Amino acid sequence: MVWRLLTGDCVDAGRGLAVDEVLARNAGSGVSPTTLRLYTYRPHVALVGRFQDVAHEVHLPFCEQHGIQVNRRPTGGGAILMGPNQLGVALVLPGRGEVLKWRARELMIRFSRGLVQGLGGLGIRASFRGKNDLEVGGRKIAGLGIYRDSSGGLLFHGSLLVDLDVELMSRVLKTPFERVTDKELATVARRTSSVRKVLGTSVTMEDVRSCIAAGFGEAFEVGLEPGELAASERDAIDILDREKYQTPGWVFQRTQVPDTSGAATLQTPAGLLDVRVALAGRMIKTVCIRGDFFADEGAIADVEGRLRWHSSEPAAVAATVRGCASLDEESLDQASLIQAIVSATANAGEPYGCFVTPQPEAHP
Amino acid sequence: MGSDPPFNIPHDRHYDRVHHLWAWWDEASRRVRVGIDSIGLESLGELAYVALKEVGTTVLRGESIGTLEAAKMTTIIAAPVSGTVSKCNDAVLQDPLLVNGDPYDGGWLVEIDPANWERDAAELVSGEGIQAWVAAEVERLRTETQAD
Repeated sequence: MVWRLLTGDCVDAGRGLAVDEVLARNAGSGVSPTTLRLYTYRPHVALVGRFQDVAHEVHLPFCEQHGIQVNRRPTGGGAILMGPNQLGVALVLPGRGEVLKWRARELMIRFSRGLVQGLGGLGIRASFRGKNDLEVGGRKIAGLGIYRDSSGGLLFHGSLLVDLDVELMSRVLKTPFERVTDKELATVARRTSSVRKVLGTSVTMEDVRSCIAAGFGEAFEVGLEPGELAASERDAIDILDREKYQTPGWVFQRTQVPDTSGAATLQTPAGLLDVRVALAGRMIKTVCIRGDFFADEGAIADVEGRLRWHSSEPAAVAATVRGCASLDEESLDQASLIQAIVSATANAGEPYGCFVTPQPEAHP
Repeated sequence: MGSDPPFNIPHDRHYDRVHHLWAWWDEASRRVRVGIDSIGLESLGELAYVALKEVGTTVLRGESIGTLEAAKMTTIIAAPVSGTVSKCNDAVLQDPLLVNGDPYDGGWLVEIDPANWERDAAELVSGEGIQAWVAAEVERLRTETQAD
């Protein structure tokens, strides 16, 4: 079997998303072939998850001031910053035959296998974690999402961090901290991974793209043939971009699920523990664990990653934290961490207005 | 290997084989109440967001009556019957985890005035067919779990 391979760079936010959605819809109705698309966005774009509230996730004045396009993905998950150093991965499948029988779990496993295999070709050992992350040593290196179109077509979205400008990200995307300090930036940098960081080399985007393409070919046992969009696809993309992705009705839509945030501090034998959480209804969207304790950053990043898009029920939180084998009891005991996270979620109720408002003038 | 998840599949309603939505025909109101069954929820995971079509929207069987974001994917909610959306469950819009906690009662999604209940019901699983269908679905779920 042969799939079409599409590549592109410097893509606008709306058009990039419109291409993926049209291909998924067309694949579902049998008009477009199964396609793997590996592309980068223009510098830069901020993309929120399907149901997120843009104003809660993105610092809009900063984006406007710096020409950063903001849009909404059809797939779920959290807000991301994309640009020349983040590889967008879109796989569209018809969702018929055998694929129709695969359930969400199997679909995500198969999709992530393509990325894991591709990263393996670069010498990076990544694994699937939680709802939609690929991690290396506990640190997130890629975000994943699945969308099933009404035609039955399936769209798998991935964003692979080839490199990451942590400072820019912290000024574009909101975090549950009052101020973005150098210490905070350093913590985020230590808890996030990227291809170049892991390899310690300046591998090119082209090399990464080639390896990821090869990984999907191996994982799905298919050949990949470089191709172009058909004229009919381009027409449909133009229409969808104009009528959906360029409209405030899509980009700025709101959900009825209330967003809240909460915090808790706890003095532990290892030091002060400071936990901030952001919730969508009763679901944890983000957990940020800080403090003056000494613990492996990869282990803390792993806990944060596993609790992303996770139930806030205390028993579920406790079970997940206890499942993080990398957490060293001597540096930070699980019971204290569970207590702090559960307290922070219990305290949640403050609206997102307390979230950080980065200072654009401080940005170089 | 662990034991099968304790799926609760009430026999008082009909089920969409592929999308795992249930349809309950209320003779008194002559409306069909729609929700997600427990096998579908096992596969989706916990629901973070639900959006439903507005009351008055007309849909064909298989068309979208809404969208949801669950722990494992974002997907449309495919109407198990054709008709007009006559009521949405506001409670699940504000707290989607209600669907996971009480899928057959408080976690219902929409009510539909069916265009032809008898015709669409014939396409769904019900009565004595439920047991064999559930057994096959549980087997498929077990296979997926082993691949995980």
